[in-house]
Amino acid sequence: MSHESTDPQGGDGQGGDTLVTLEGITKSFGAVQSLRGVDLRLGPGEVLGLVGDNGAGKSTLMKVLSGAIRHDTGSITVGGKQVRFHSPADARAEHIGIVYQDLALCDTLDVASNLFLGREPRKGPFVDRAEMHRQAAEMLSTLHVRVRSTYQEIGELSGGQRQAVAIARAVSFQPKVLILDEPTAALAVAEVRQVLRMIREVAQQGVGVILITHRLQDLFEVCDRITVMYEGQSVDDAATADLDIETLVGMITRSNTTTEEAA
Amino acid sequence: MTTQVASPQQQRDLAAQPSWWERVNKATVAMLGVTVALFIGFGMASPNFLTFGNMSNLATQVAITLIVAIAMTFVITTGQIDLSVGSTVAFVAAMTAELLQLGLDSSLVIVAGLLAGLFWGSVNGWLSAYQNIPPFIVTLAAMSIIRGFALLWTEGFSVPIDRRLFVAKIGEAEFLGFSALAWIALGTAVIGGILLSRMRFGRYVNGIGAQEESVRRAGVNTRRIKMITLMLTGLAAGAAGILTAARLGSGSANSAEGFELTVIAAVVLGGTNLFGGRGTIVGTVIGALITGMIANGLTLMGVSPFLTPIVTGLVLIAAIWINLRGRSLAQLVSHLTKRPT
Repeated sequence: MSHESTDPQGGDGQGGDTLVTLEGITKSFGAVQSLRGVDLRLGPGEVLGLVGDNGAGKSTLMKVLSGAIRHDTGSITVGGKQVRFHSPADARAEHIGIVYQDLALCDTLDVASNLFLGREPRKGPFVDRAEMHRQAAEMLSTLHVRVRSTYQEIGELSGGQRQAVAIARAVSFQPKVLILDEPTAALAVAEVRQVLRMIREVAQQGVGVILITHRLQDLFEVCDRITVMYEGQSVDDAATADLDIETLVGMITRSNTTTEEAA
Repeated sequence: MTTQVASPQQQRDLAAQPSWWERVNKATVAMLGVTVALFIGFGMASPNFLTFGNMSNLATQVAITLIVAIAMTFVITTGQIDLSVGSTVAFVAAMTAELLQLGLDSSLVIVAGLLAGLFWGSVNGWLSAYQNIPPFIVTLAAMSIIRGFALLWTEGFSVPIDRRLFVAKIGEAEFLGFSALAWIALGTAVIGGILLSRMRFGRYVNGIGAQEESVRRAGVNTRRIKMITLMLTGLAAGAAGILTAARLGSGSANSAEGFELTVIAAVVLGGTNLFGGRGTIVGTVIGALITGMIANGLTLMGVSPFLTPIVTGLVLIAAIWINLRGRSLAQLVSHLTKRPT
């Protein structure tokens, strides 16, 4: 995987250079200030955990980064150039992919149709189904997604399989940044392992992954670094290796804060 | 852990098409069984039932219902409904007769009839897909309005059509023992089947019925697709209106009363899910055959013709009951009357 990101700002992320930098992002909805200055950086091949209590602004921040909403002030730098997203299509053009919690799949369509929804391969005016299923099988085996057949309907799959299909779909757009919103919520233990393994595999291909989750043990399993948000601000940023679960809980709840944080 | 890449053989297995039995819509198979049972039952009850003449007759009787039911399959698969088709049939039938009386050429009248159907479909589609009014409400109102226009125009009279005109001849034409109507219906079914199962449009129609938001996020203009499906029922009802006038040799604003129920019954009987997401054209053909066969068989057995609407209504209830598959009728009502998006 090669990245043409020439990076003038020089982050100190894992990969040496920085894929995405967010600086001083703010966003208000009427009188409610939802984001009050967020900084975040992500390197290629890095898995970044984004944590914070409910209402800390994680989802809003990710909607800004995926182009679903526009931020008020602050800057987004992708691959060394300043960008401003007006729509999800703009973010997609910068190779930023997102898998929402509701997965955006269609229950009554089969796995292959879901993977290719909106961009089905065609032969003349017809959908080339053989080709679609062949490519789908290839996509799924590269990522070790286990389904019985690409003809299985999404509604028949387990939660973990659905999540895996949704991630495979996002990966097929060849993103440089992949945002995952609570991918392991409500999954069985074995399925959580499967999804986490998939996240590592995606990151190994050089994709920067942002993982939003409430399951702190998952963060320790896959993340290189963790950014903590509190009341619309990014308050902590630390390598996972330097953290333990109690310290992290303290950072999220700000219950026993002894250090002074400047946003 | 295991990091071996799947072999090409495993990949082929993954993409292998499952058996016919796994792919097929089970509700449709059940209805195919019912069709066969009805064939045998009526065949034994009435010696005239299983004759070629009666089969050809049955095909003609089913044709007009089937043409509209094919289009209705798309509407119901997206999770919508169109109650106005009967009124559109009456409107176009009356319009066909009126325009022919004015001396317009048959070809012009046919084009005008199809355009009128398309127009009413567009009105329905625009109001429901772009103005977010539930299609159940829009088409219920349209049902009253469209027939109202037809009544106003004809003042309630049945308008005769000259037998020598081309339009009237369509109603009597036959090829290979089957009427032109039956052939047109067959053609519509083939086109509908290809559109629903082989083209992107059909994928999106199914997808919208399952999770519209997912299809929209995939970059598909779902409003446009929903509007097009309602335009299809309008167009099909327009064609059905012309054919109704052609067959009866007159156009009346009172024709095709309760037609929408027969059409919806045919679609639902065939296994298309009333909640959307799962549509089958083969099923609709079977469903239309069942409704037609019941009417035809009962007539041959010499029961009162007034029994037919009763039986059709009962069949509709039974079909919906089977179709609900564990969900309640209240859920269906709230599904059909909720605001889109």
